[in-house]
Amino acid sequence: MSGAIHLQHVGVDYGQGWVLEAINHSFEPGQCHIIMGPNGGGKTSLFRSVLGLTPFVGDISVQWPSGRVGRLGYVPQKAIFEQSLPLTVLDFVLLNLTKVPLFLAPLWPGFKQQRAQALASLTRVGMAQRAHLRMGQLSGGEQQRVLFAQALLHHPDVLILDEPTTGMDEAGVQYLENLMHELVAQGKTILAVHHDIAAVRRILARTPGKVHIVNHHLVDSGPVEDVLTSAKIETLFQHFSARRA
Amino acid sequence: MQWLYSFAEQASSAGWLHPSLAYAFMVNALVAACLLGPLLGGLGTMVVAKRLAFFSEAVGHAAITGIALGILLGESPDSPFIGLFSFCLIFALLLHYVRNRTQVPYDTLVGVFLAIALALGGALLMYVAKKINIHLLENVLFGSILAVAASDIIILLVVGSVLCVLFMLCYNRMLLAAISPDIAKVRGIAVVLLDYSFVLMVTLVTIISVKVIGAILVGALLLIPAATARLLCRTNAGFVICSAVIATISCLLGTLLPMRLDLAIPSGAAIILLAGGFFLMANAYQILCKRGN
Repeated sequence: MSGAIHLQHVGVDYGQGWVLEAINHSFEPGQCHIIMGPNGGGKTSLFRSVLGLTPFVGDISVQWPSGRVGRLGYVPQKAIFEQSLPLTVLDFVLLNLTKVPLFLAPLWPGFKQQRAQALASLTRVGMAQRAHLRMGQLSGGEQQRVLFAQALLHHPDVLILDEPTTGMDEAGVQYLENLMHELVAQGKTILAVHHDIAAVRRILARTPGKVHIVNHHLVDSGPVEDVLTSAKIETLFQHFSARRA
Repeated sequence: MQWLYSFAEQASSAGWLHPSLAYAFMVNALVAACLLGPLLGGLGTMVVAKRLAFFSEAVGHAAITGIALGILLGESPDSPFIGLFSFCLIFALLLHYVRNRTQVPYDTLVGVFLAIALALGGALLMYVAKKINIHLLENVLFGSILAVAASDIIILLVVGSVLCVLFMLCYNRMLLAAISPDIAKVRGIAVVLLDYSFVLMVTLVTIISVKVIGAILVGALLLIPAATARLLCRTNAGFVICSAVIATISCLLGTLLPMRLDLAIPSGAAIILLAGGFFLMANAYQILCKRGN
């Protein structure tokens, strides 16, 4: 079973008031945790804190299984791929895999093995056939799948996804949801920000996990059928300033 | 270097090489061109990937002020390296430091810094003109093959080797940090340190290129070969190798052709005009042959 994430009195302040305040929570290992909430509610700040990408107060710890330090995988919402930059899909994945400069990598003895590893990761997200294309030639959804492939490279114990299906077509969404199910079945922990209520219900209908609503504080947390009820949804997704009023 | 001069002289006498290569200054200039080409071409791909073209131009232009300061502080007008290095480094590091702490867009910020540096340089040059013949500065501003001495080749070789090793060690991490700083940070890459390292690399390459290409035009050689290769290549390996080859050919031909054709133009200008020619040809190829792709 992969890592559990513990948050104690976690708060984030960018200098214009608290975006997140006093979050005390634990994300159990081996489950799919979906973070939802209104825009500006602090979802992104929460997981950027977990990744150590933003300063926060309080304490965040990951409890790895059997005492070893595990691996974090991260899929950002997007990356900057200029259309004409000469960087193929395979180049981008290899960039995350090797320290040998890309332009010398084919001369290195271990290159074949690393290339095979990169292609295997691309196969998992259905992008191996497009490995020769430039990153800038791909659609937003396809780029998202490649970003997912880079996160899978080192067999992460905890996978953090920022709105993973943004811009994805039906086939991409299918690949991603199957993969999330497969990873959780292998005992991995997934933490994903999502905004599509129907998709979240679909994911958590077959994959063990919980929904957590973040709106300045942790507003609600639990199984999808308890949290995303029609009676609750309207109040859960109101901006916290409106709720205060 | 002596063995190389003797070899070139004998080869010229035997008719294997052009008679102009019997001169030591010509050998120096060609060796410098062979060393600078791959370095500038390779580094240039990162300048393009990190979208630092304007920055690299600005560092080169700030060199005017560095040179003026160096001469005013007593350095030789031929090699005011300390003034050049100190000012360019302070300029580049300060610009990068402010960039990370201001909401002013980066191109605006570079424009402001560049204007201040040029204004300061212009003011100081008036004082320099009282001290030396101002035409001596043309060599360091626009490059001259006559100005390259054997000691410059040693500096070029040592600093160039260090830069080359650093570039190869950091290349993948720098590129990943340029594409997605967040992925790079999560993978434990020291993104900020790498950013400052690259600033230092651009500054150093500007300084060692002064003799051949000239401070003003070195930024262009960091940009044009990479911009040309970008139009022609699909893979990253092709991009870096093609850029290095174009930069090296431009440096070699830009050094040789003015001599062969008896043209009184600075080597830096000839190199950049050739590189610009390759860029225009690559654009024409792109427009005519790859239309619709």
